[in-house]
Amino acid sequence: MTTTQPGRPAPAGLGRRTVVATGAAGLGTATLAGSAALSPSAASPDRPGAKPRHRVFQHGVASGDPLPRAVVIWTRVTPTRSATPGLGKGPRTEVRWEVATDRAFRDVVRRGTFVTSAGRDHTVKLDVTGLRPATWYHYRFTAAGQRSRVGRTRTAPAPDATPRNLRFGVVSCSNYQAGYFAAYRHLARRDDLHAVLHLGDYLYEYEAGYYGAGDVIVRRHEPAGEMVSLDDYRQRHAQYKTDPDLQDLHASAPFITVWDDHESANDAWRDGAENHTPGGGKGGEGSWRRRRARAHRAYDEWMPIRLDGTARLGDGTRLYRRLRFGTLAELSMLDLRTYRSEQVSVPVLDPAVSDPDRTITGREQMRWLKNSLSRDTAQWKLVGNPVMIAPVTFAALPADLVSPVNDVTGLLPQDGLPYNVDQWDGYTDDRRELFAHIRDRGIKDTVFLTGDIHSGWACDLPFDRGLYPLASETAGVEFVCSSVTSDNLKDILGVPPRTASVAVERVIRAANPHIRYLDFDSHGYSVLDVTPARVQMDWYVIGSRTERNTPATWSRSFATRAGTNKVVAVDRPVR
Amino acid sequence: MCTPQQHPASARTARTGPPPATDRRTVLKVAGAGGLALTFSTAQGAGSPAYAAGNRDRRRAYVLVVDGCRPDEIDSGLMPNLAALRAGGRHFPRAHSLPVMETLPNHVMMMAGVRPDRSGVPANEIYDRALGETRTMDRPRDIRTTTVIERLNRHGFRTGTVLSKDYLFTIFGERATHRWEPFPLLPVTDHAPDLFTMEAALGMVEEFDPHLVFVNLGDVDRVGHSDLTGGSLQVLRRAALVSTDLQVGRFVSMLKSTGRWKRSIVVVLADHSMDWSRPDRVVSLTAPLADDPFLAGKVAVAQNGGADLLYWTGPAKQRERGVERMLAVARATPGVLSAHDRARSPRLRLGPNAGDVVAYCRAGWRFSDPNVVANPIPGNHGHPATRAIPFFIGGGHPAAAKAVSSTLATTVDVAPTIAAFFGLRGAPRGGWDGRSRI
Repeated sequence: MTTTQPGRPAPAGLGRRTVVATGAAGLGTATLAGSAALSPSAASPDRPGAKPRHRVFQHGVASGDPLPRAVVIWTRVTPTRSATPGLGKGPRTEVRWEVATDRAFRDVVRRGTFVTSAGRDHTVKLDVTGLRPATWYHYRFTAAGQRSRVGRTRTAPAPDATPRNLRFGVVSCSNYQAGYFAAYRHLARRDDLHAVLHLGDYLYEYEAGYYGAGDVIVRRHEPAGEMVSLDDYRQRHAQYKTDPDLQDLHASAPFITVWDDHESANDAWRDGAENHTPGGGKGGEGSWRRRRARAHRAYDEWMPIRLDGTARLGDGTRLYRRLRFGTLAELSMLDLRTYRSEQVSVPVLDPAVSDPDRTITGREQMRWLKNSLSRDTAQWKLVGNPVMIAPVTFAALPADLVSPVNDVTGLLPQDGLPYNVDQWDGYTDDRRELFAHIRDRGIKDTVFLTGDIHSGWACDLPFDRGLYPLASETAGVEFVCSSVTSDNLKDILGVPPRTASVAVERVIRAANPHIRYLDFDSHGYSVLDVTPARVQMDWYVIGSRTERNTPATWSRSFATRAGTNKVVAVDRPVR
Repeated sequence: MCTPQQHPASARTARTGPPPATDRRTVLKVAGAGGLALTFSTAQGAGSPAYAAGNRDRRRAYVLVVDGCRPDEIDSGLMPNLAALRAGGRHFPRAHSLPVMETLPNHVMMMAGVRPDRSGVPANEIYDRALGETRTMDRPRDIRTTTVIERLNRHGFRTGTVLSKDYLFTIFGERATHRWEPFPLLPVTDHAPDLFTMEAALGMVEEFDPHLVFVNLGDVDRVGHSDLTGGSLQVLRRAALVSTDLQVGRFVSMLKSTGRWKRSIVVVLADHSMDWSRPDRVVSLTAPLADDPFLAGKVAVAQNGGADLLYWTGPAKQRERGVERMLAVARATPGVLSAHDRARSPRLRLGPNAGDVVAYCRAGWRFSDPNVVANPIPGNHGHPATRAIPFFIGGGHPAAAKAVSSTLATTVDVAPTIAAFFGLRGAPRGGWDGRSRI
């Protein structure tokens, strides 16, 4: 069912009760029901006809960037009715926080207070230290006489630990206007995720009414205009965080996030963006650097992340960072927007795509990434990679399908960019340098985890695409998750699933034998399971993104076995 | 680079047939399967009933080195026996070889349990300052520490070596209780084919039943060195993988059919992997070093395929400046991945035998010194691209129970693993550099 009602999502408490009523089973249900019980709105329902009670915690709770002995916890308070996000109003507010080993908070191991204010949009973010490695914790906040829901989080294993496995939810490209975040809801029902990786496009900058589910706007963006000012970015973050499914997922496990372009503006690069009009006057959106700084400020305020290694605001915007999980894996999260050269503006045959003076990572981040991969600290080198790194040609694609494919892979209709030059394919010298580093150093077990292109992929990463599979040496593999809601090929073509896209997928795979799996049609999420023997990605697809309670089903699974740097099909998902 | 013929200064003695036994050893000739004649030499007294009665421990450990094997080749479908052995045992997928990624230093590390700065063997080829020339480290006295072989001997365990390469045979000398003297040695490669090596391993077990047998299977490496299609089809290499895997299968079958399997561990690993270069991707440092006014005539080069070891031979008081210049010249040469001041790179742990500067080539390149035609071999190792190795412990003994670990395992872990398996107390003075992996 499609709805164009622009209203707000149901209150968090109602949403959670609805989940229970619809018969969600298992531990996930118990978790959600327990969360609801701690919610003020659930514990003390308003009397019929009475003025709704003001809710201090309207945006949920979250945690992120787990370390062996520390994790970031987050919430946002609304101390008065007027202290809504982005308005700069409301008093300084003292917020108490607690971290316990049990859900009932009988064993509180850390507690404290945090003072927030309008200067930080009343967000609360702090690094809780002194925790035990590889341990589940529960956390909550108290302010203005109300208590937040309870969040659950987990610390990373100790550096020398040898975990049997790690399991991550993997998501990207969640466009509020394009549908409901059912993918988040289904992930939140699992109780086996150590963390959730969000690989970018957590929110979209567009004005209300533009870029929905094809031509349909399922839910309208707030504020109504494109986000440009700091207040805009804050309000949009706030709107997304009122989504009950996103709130539930945040409350269920720590997030590890990177931004891609839509957290600031479409096809962002170092000095601009496709969706940014520099300068003043009519239509002008001012300085790109200032706009980006505002986007980064709001991201820092509203996301459970350490920028420049800290949870403090305003002390830096370095997003790229490493997170280690014992000897099993190290995760390097990349920022491929802030330092990149401008995308080429002509087709892929432009020799500029291989110009060594152009970069997607920036020189410093490239040095850092190469060092990440050659460190002998963990077996699996996981790379949180906002845009696809596998080389893709589509020379054999029929001309009348090129444009729709562009629309999907370029993220937007009418964006005008040729296929993949917004990705590593548009910066081939950086890719060559990185792959050469992997080959020169004999690095094994590198797995790129990617979002961005609203489709599911599993690829080998050949050193020499021209000789593949004759010379089948590879730099690693890449798993690409589908979008939570953002348009894919069938959406743009306006056709049923598994019709027109099937031919496109076959053509692309035939021209690119290193691509082992491609699904241009599905929305959903992935589950990544890491063991010493292999890394496996399971793709789950949802039904209709325009239906809040749409189901999710397992679609396909692929894995890479240790030491092989190759993708193989797997016949069943984990669990 | 492993081809001894390219090093005329090698101290190794060329052999055309089985060598005579030394005074302290006896020679036993055994007919193997298919009528192959096997020659074993045995330490005097080792064949006596008293010696045999010295240790009745029924546990057995076999170390099979698939020389030059890459870890992904186990998954290629061409090596089903090794894949099955790995699947049923303790697998360490993060394993790698240690500098310099060559045959001799890594085999010595396996048995010594210490790094080259303590074992004395950092590479296949070194510049011997006393001799004033480069040579292969193939002398028994080149190993300057006690190996686990000797430790087992002292406790009355029987040990055996079945090493396909001549220089391995010579460097381990008479350390083992029983040793096979590789034959027939193929010309150029100076190794015995795996068919003969495995025949010897089977014969060794049947005849002497040592507690530890250390086996080197050389075909995968030797064929890989010369495979001109190594960068693409790998025609010869793939054939060698299949062949060697069959030999390993024979060994496992023997263990199972003779009842040894349940009381045995089979440690399988490689000493290094392999990388292939094109004829135009050759690095020769001798000329640019000689062209440098300060370095001319004051540097010796020991070429090790993927690594060059540079030795300052000028006045000692000029050494520091000489090292700086060698580093600069090496780093400025196309194809060089990195160059390291050996004395100031403690993580290398190579010791003074490795000279003053260690240079690595990039993947797809090779060193060739003293000139660009000195090393025509396409397959090489010694550089970081060749560090990944297979490493797993199969067998029916509980110590080989099925598991996969993200723990870093290296070649230096073999000796402490063997020692732990047999319950040997103590360790080399200064301790093991590796760790037991059981």
